[in-house]
Amino acid sequence: MRTLVLGIGNPFLGDDGIGFSIAQELARVVKDENIDVKDANLPGLNLLELIIGYDRVIIIDAIMTDDGEVGEIYRLKPESFVKTVHPASSAHDVNLATAIEIGKKSLAEQMPADIIVFAVEIQEVAEFTDEMTRKVKEAIPRVVNLVLEEISPSEE
Amino acid sequence: MTRKIIIEPVTRIEGHGKVTIHLDDKGNVDKARLHVTQVRGFEKFCEGRLFWEMPLITARICGICPVSHHLASAKAGDAILGVELTPTAEMLRRLIHMAQLVQSHALHFFHLASPDFLFGMDADPAKRNIMGVIAEMPEIAKKGVKIRAFGQKIIEALGDKRVHPNAAVPGGMAKALSLDKRGEILNQVDDIIADCQFAVDLIKDYCLQHSEEAASFASFRTGYLGLVDTDGNVEYYDGTLRLKDSKGITLEDNVASKNYLSIIEEAVEDWSYLKFPYYKRMGYPAGIYRVGPLGRLNVADGCDTPLANKEFQNFKSLGSEGIVQPSLYYHYARMIEMLNTAEKIKQLVQDELICSQEIWVNSAKINREGIGVIEAPRGTLVHHYWVDASGKIEKVNLIVATGHNNSAMNRAVYEVAREFIKDGKVTEGILNRVEVAIRCYDPCLSCSTHALGQMLLEVAICEPDGNVQQVLRS
Repeated sequence: MRTLVLGIGNPFLGDDGIGFSIAQELARVVKDENIDVKDANLPGLNLLELIIGYDRVIIIDAIMTDDGEVGEIYRLKPESFVKTVHPASSAHDVNLATAIEIGKKSLAEQMPADIIVFAVEIQEVAEFTDEMTRKVKEAIPRVVNLVLEEISPSEE
Repeated sequence: MTRKIIIEPVTRIEGHGKVTIHLDDKGNVDKARLHVTQVRGFEKFCEGRLFWEMPLITARICGICPVSHHLASAKAGDAILGVELTPTAEMLRRLIHMAQLVQSHALHFFHLASPDFLFGMDADPAKRNIMGVIAEMPEIAKKGVKIRAFGQKIIEALGDKRVHPNAAVPGGMAKALSLDKRGEILNQVDDIIADCQFAVDLIKDYCLQHSEEAASFASFRTGYLGLVDTDGNVEYYDGTLRLKDSKGITLEDNVASKNYLSIIEEAVEDWSYLKFPYYKRMGYPAGIYRVGPLGRLNVADGCDTPLANKEFQNFKSLGSEGIVQPSLYYHYARMIEMLNTAEKIKQLVQDELICSQEIWVNSAKINREGIGVIEAPRGTLVHHYWVDASGKIEKVNLIVATGHNNSAMNRAVYEVAREFIKDGKVTEGILNRVEVAIRCYDPCLSCSTHALGQMLLEVAICEPDGNVQQVLRS
């Protein structure tokens, strides 16, 4: 089984870089030839090309919800993701959830069977910086552990 | 009564934007504005970093066209080193650039714009989206994915399997193209060219069938700017700047790209973070111009590949004096460029020299200033760096394509709003048409974060004091 761990984010946009930082950390510790760890700063559809061909994909991204606490970690499946993040009334933007839907409909055989999203609640980013908010930074080791648990279930 | 209509955010463009429409006392459109959310502080962020790092940093500032920033930055670095690239390094730079153009144009056309053509602008939004295209015309959607994957594969072949390219370095390229990869590209390229031709035919038919709508939809006169090669052909990687007015008269020609400041100045408006570039001699706002596919085709005399040149000549015949004004023709121009760049990829990989290992030259020299200009998918991109004697960045100036088109996009929204709002009455369908108008320019507003979040189309009608009187949702 081939697994992709994909951190999404821009390391130069403060909290937005959380996915990038976690991927960097995981790239150092994951030494399994069946697991690729990558980072990307790309929106929805561009991500589709990265995830096709894998059996399982674990995405790490930043999220901003209405009432979430900064640093809070969410584990989402695409199903819940569509409901919570993507409004049913407007299917005409291309966010990650839509991209996954597009993949399922047009490239079914190449789409990963299993997609999990770990999202960390961030603060709004207003300027370029390579510093993250303290609470977001503190989430890094916790998410790293969650991903490690996810990719090595047999060792639990 | 003066009202303000806000459309927020504009969906199906990459990044976030907000539109406000201000009405006058009689309820007619006074002004229309596209507000771009921009993250600040880029210049400060770059200060003190070595120019060597800039191609990697700038490739990451934007998730939409990382290769464009990467290459413009590397070119600025070449100028700081004062070097000329080896022939192979330049070929590889062109190859990766063409790959990004093909990929970016395919995404925009197939996934973002095609639903409007295939289903019509007034079709139910529940169907008029990429999911609708997949459900009803899966073959078309698959072509889009295939063309994109082809471009991505080339970028990865040169960028060391990384998502964000670390392919170009000041002075050349970091990695040569292997014979295997060259073979793979050659095997696939004819098929991709055929798919690009299919896309050209699709949009050409649409434009011919809807010529009246296309001619009146967000059509207005501006100047045009783009790079051309020594024969006047559309050029994407190097070449000189040419600027034409709305009647096709060449106002500037053979301007070395490093002299961009001799023809361009930037205006500032208090309601937008994004600046408004204009043609210096005509002043602001008279000197507004457009860049990108329409700009490039409008200023050029031809394309240097056979299939694209045939389409180019057809396209030119639609305008007067070789100038095609309507915003909708951006899509047509974009597909001719996709064909052109796919053909260029073939020409590049057919030449064995592209696999040479001579890909980098160094220099001990450090010029205190370097300028790199290329044609990114959305238009002319300028990276201008000032460095100290050790090569550390002192100052940065970037002009991005969405900036050049800033005035034109505002104008496009204004034209549409004027057509659809009369005497205080807002005609149905305006929201989507405003979006369609902006989408022609394929604006990249993604300097804001990409964080997961809700995107809804919302229109707020506001009283002069800012109180929201009514909220409409798509």
